[in-house]
Amino acid sequence: MPAICILLLLISGCSKKDDDGKSGEMVLRYSLISKVTNIDPGNIQDVYGSQLVSQICESLYTYHYLKRPFEIIPCLAADMPVISEDKLTYTISIKKGVFFHNNPCFPDGKGRELKAQDFVFAFKRIANVKYASVNWGGLKDYIVGLNEFREYTKQFKKEYDVDYSYDVEGLQALDDYTFQIKLAKPWPQLINDLTGVVTAPVAKEVVDYYKIDAPVHPIGTGPFKLKTWQRGIYIELERNEHYRDDFYPTEGELSDIENGYLEDAGKQMPFVDRVIYRVIEEYQPAWLLFLRGEFDRLYIPKDNFDSAVDIVSKAPKEFMKDRNIEVTIKDQPSLYYLGFNMKDPVLGNNKPLRKAISFAVNREQINELMYNNRWRIAHSLVHPLLDGYNPELAELNYMAYDLSKAKELLREAEKIHGGSIPPLKIGWPGSDPFSRQFAQLIQRQIEKAGIKIEINYLDWPTYVDMMNKGQHQIFGSGVRFSSPDPLSVFSMFPTKYFAPMGNSFFYSNPEYDALYERAEVMFPSPERAELFHKMEKMVLEDYPAVFTTQRVQYNLHHEWYDNYKPHPFLYSHVKYIRIDSEKQRAYKELLKELKKKDQ
Amino acid sequence: MTAYIIRRLLYLIPIVMGVLLVTFCLFTLVGGDISQQIAGKNADAETIAEIRHEYGFDKPLFLAWDSQFLAHFKKAFTFNFGRALDREKIGEKIFRGVGPSLALTVPMFFGTLVISISFALIVAFLRGTVWDHIIVFLCVAGMSIPYLSFIIFGQYYFAYKLDWFPIFYDPSRPIYLSIILPALIGIVAGLGSNLRFYRTIMLDEVRSDYVRTAFAKGLTARKVLFKHVLKNAMIPIVTNTVLSIPYLILGSLLLERFFGIPGLGYLMIEAINARDFFVLNAMTFIMALLIAFFTLVTDVCYAWVDPRVKFD
Amino acid sequence: MIDLPTTTELVKGRSLWSDGIRRLRKRGFAKVCFVIVLLYFALAGLIFLDGVFQWDIPLFDWQETVGPSYQKPWIQYEWTPEGQELSETGWTIFGTDFLGQSTFRKMLYGAKTSITVALFASVISLLIGVPMGAIAGYFRGWADDVIVWLYTTIGTIPGIVLIMAFAVVLRTQTFFGIEIKGITAVYVALGLTSWVGICRLIRGEIIKRKESEYVLAARAMGCSGGRIIFLHLLPNVFHIIIINFSLRFVGFIHAEVILSFLGLGETDKPSWGAMIDAARTELARNVWWEMVAATVAIFFISLALNIFGDALRDCLDPKLRTD
Repeated sequence: MPAICILLLLISGCSKKDDDGKSGEMVLRYSLISKVTNIDPGNIQDVYGSQLVSQICESLYTYHYLKRPFEIIPCLAADMPVISEDKLTYTISIKKGVFFHNNPCFPDGKGRELKAQDFVFAFKRIANVKYASVNWGGLKDYIVGLNEFREYTKQFKKEYDVDYSYDVEGLQALDDYTFQIKLAKPWPQLINDLTGVVTAPVAKEVVDYYKIDAPVHPIGTGPFKLKTWQRGIYIELERNEHYRDDFYPTEGELSDIENGYLEDAGKQMPFVDRVIYRVIEEYQPAWLLFLRGEFDRLYIPKDNFDSAVDIVSKAPKEFMKDRNIEVTIKDQPSLYYLGFNMKDPVLGNNKPLRKAISFAVNREQINELMYNNRWRIAHSLVHPLLDGYNPELAELNYMAYDLSKAKELLREAEKIHGGSIPPLKIGWPGSDPFSRQFAQLIQRQIEKAGIKIEINYLDWPTYVDMMNKGQHQIFGSGVRFSSPDPLSVFSMFPTKYFAPMGNSFFYSNPEYDALYERAEVMFPSPERAELFHKMEKMVLEDYPAVFTTQRVQYNLHHEWYDNYKPHPFLYSHVKYIRIDSEKQRAYKELLKELKKKDQ
Repeated sequence: MTAYIIRRLLYLIPIVMGVLLVTFCLFTLVGGDISQQIAGKNADAETIAEIRHEYGFDKPLFLAWDSQFLAHFKKAFTFNFGRALDREKIGEKIFRGVGPSLALTVPMFFGTLVISISFALIVAFLRGTVWDHIIVFLCVAGMSIPYLSFIIFGQYYFAYKLDWFPIFYDPSRPIYLSIILPALIGIVAGLGSNLRFYRTIMLDEVRSDYVRTAFAKGLTARKVLFKHVLKNAMIPIVTNTVLSIPYLILGSLLLERFFGIPGLGYLMIEAINARDFFVLNAMTFIMALLIAFFTLVTDVCYAWVDPRVKFD
Repeated sequence: MIDLPTTTELVKGRSLWSDGIRRLRKRGFAKVCFVIVLLYFALAGLIFLDGVFQWDIPLFDWQETVGPSYQKPWIQYEWTPEGQELSETGWTIFGTDFLGQSTFRKMLYGAKTSITVALFASVISLLIGVPMGAIAGYFRGWADDVIVWLYTTIGTIPGIVLIMAFAVVLRTQTFFGIEIKGITAVYVALGLTSWVGICRLIRGEIIKRKESEYVLAARAMGCSGGRIIFLHLLPNVFHIIIINFSLRFVGFIHAEVILSFLGLGETDKPSWGAMIDAARTELARNVWWEMVAATVAIFFISLALNIFGDALRDCLDPKLRTD
């Protein structure tokens, strides 16, 4: 036994010292449910990566933190873009006196001033074929000369060998503080994309210095810089000492004053000194750590929801109130569905069958059993928070549940099929208990209508692979929309976007395609809204999927976590947050008191 | 003796080759081209082609200088396994996992060893009595409960309900705090089979002639047990310990996953979920190498300790 | 009164098997365990037949909704089935899962899943291990070298790593038109990785017995090598196979649980592994019955098999030790 004790001591000696840091330091602590795999701005695709890197790297534009409806405001840009008559040239002036983080890749380790060239570089890098960015699809064909640049890069061996001095007509730094984009065709959503972290400026020095390791050195101009990056488990950001002048907004919605969102108006941001992210892939440990006050904010795991929040009043329950825990609700523009593969011989030509399946799915029950009734049931493709939401669709009941109708449609479907329908296979991502329960529920519901279902549980890479190759028959999936412009909803259905692009249904409708071509280049207008309404109905009529639910996220946070106003499109919210250290310290005492009371 | 060691070392060569052959078949022939998986959801054909080239999936399988088969061997012999799917160097990834894995498994292993040997000695002394039967039964009963149940229950009850231990590994705190509970669970879960194993070893010794002689000489039971039996039983115990070293390095898959300890077991599960065959391949090879090496060490030690082992 | 043995009996002697079984009969506890094992097998067989012939035995219909979601066990409850007006009362031994399915029925069905996995894995590993061991032991020479090399190689890779690698790689692959997925991947992976032990054991035994008189006699009579192995040698080492089988079986049942947790197990139908795995999140809402039911089910079959296997070993071949 003594041997073990000595060993333990030795091990503890080697491990990192307990660094609680200086007193009075404001530290934010978050938990992440999934590992962050990519922190390279140009290659980010998932929410977790965006959440993290948006604190480090800034883009040209951002959303106003408080105002609703959502408003785009300049961030690194000095002003809104000057757009030419033909809508093809965007001239953007850039803020002066903005510096990159201090880093050894710059001369003397001091961050260089941000220049227009850094934006040119960032765009070219995404186009660089050797960089193999997952975001190239979003830029392809839009910017004059960028496709040619991509061709040009093919001759090089490695990403960092590529000669970036190759001129791209559509991306110009007119001077150090003016960036110009020339488009090959109108791109009304460009301004939305410029708010994303993907288009954040990148200093060429970073890539030249770190070469192949550049992807783990995100260096931007943001309020925080990366301090510790322990892959997969622990990420720490610290305040950027020479962050630019950036003040807390002074105006917002009417209710914001009442809710205390404007108490810090006009103050220099960020407020906190350090941000810690811990990846905890199981729900229960994260939940318990939150209750102990070791995390400031948390999503509510399914199995804990009923004990935390009263779904009718949307208020925290007694247990939470005793601990001064508050609830925020984030309505997330998104759409979850069971997609049909329209290329599949059984499903593709059999609309009554697809319709029957849609009628067999009881969305209310899904919401109740899987989401504690907190999600929204989808009535339309376009989420109510997006532009061009059509409230009339709710009355048309495309997403209704009607078992007897489903059975009726099935008989019709069997006639078309010429016999009974063979068992249908659903490709399902994940095989953890939650995914399994969800899939079982879906299977049960559809089988009640008399259609046999097999679930094929897949790991994520295989699932994506099969989706891209069109090998699923039915697949469980969902999308989250990253801007209020509804075009991304409609880009899920045109023929030209067959998987691996957005259209995983392989839905093909020439009439729809024609309308999409027109709508794609239109700036928001009543005419465009009209087109969208038409297209939405077209898709709903064809049942390329069983559209089910839309995510509403309930978060809990402790009372010391101030200024948090959920925003579905803005990821860089950390700089707005303030921690009330006194309340935070008092929490330990509160827990002790509550424990005494229990006994 | 030297000749024996050299011969054993030479015998390692076909084994290592065999392991490489197995991993090649598994991860390259059957596992196949995973470029589409690497490229992610909305990748176009160009990007996929680029990735195929980068990871060498476009090379011929056999029969070429730059074939994937030769590359596989080259990677292994130079210990340069390249990069994982998240672009971190695989060597670094594995090296980083060794510490936490050992931090958990070493105390666990020695804890189990000390407890089960002490019990085994007692049981050997009590053999044939009701107590012996009860303990053997309890061992079998302990072995019959699934490992996963031990972990889920242990974590739920002692960490959540009673709040005696941390629930999850916290990198900002000393690691020993986080490993106490998983180590205890591991010890309890493994006690049954270990105790049974050491009991058999002890009984073998107790039944042998020298023990009878010692008792006949009039030595006390205690003296016989500690001076003779334990001393002689040390050989199988030490052998077992040496053979366990690679497994200690490999860590405990389930415990690491449940308690968030970033060891090699955790790495392994991560690689499985991401279908990262590069990491799996490297880990399989390194583990096999370690096992082959430590088996050799035990064999040589045997030969050295026991003069009856012939060197031919 | 003493029963004096008659002379005929003394002359006749007893075969290894009748001797072993006679000794086994004396162990009351082992008998009980044997009955328990038989019960599990009977249950699995019955569920299998129920599936094939569609007898629709209600107890095996695990998909039926028998109560509200997460109903506590051992309590009378009232509930309204979907699509009905009137409420019913119900009662279950082990409560219900999130869909209102009976945990008890799922537990019963799990027996079939687990026993299928263990049985097929054992059969695969025996089919590979026994002939290879016999060939290596009997013919020696290069065949022996190759086989020893093969099993040393496989034995050098840590078992759990190999099983997982096999399961991951095999999943979603199609061989000869058969799609390997879910449970098939599990037992193929287990079978392909676990033949080393039995192969080594059989080889050793065959080497020992190769020079015994009955083999020499058979050889003198001109029997071919294959004939000697399969007709003369293997029947004589059959008890080793049986012992190994019974002890290995437990390992496979436990392996299924771990693979389930890793998402590599049975997915469509209930399995004990999946039930225990579900407890990871369900315990948060105090749903302990699924885990307990599965653990109890595994506990009894493991215990019975372990004790029975030990007894079998002691009775058939006291010198042999497999662990």
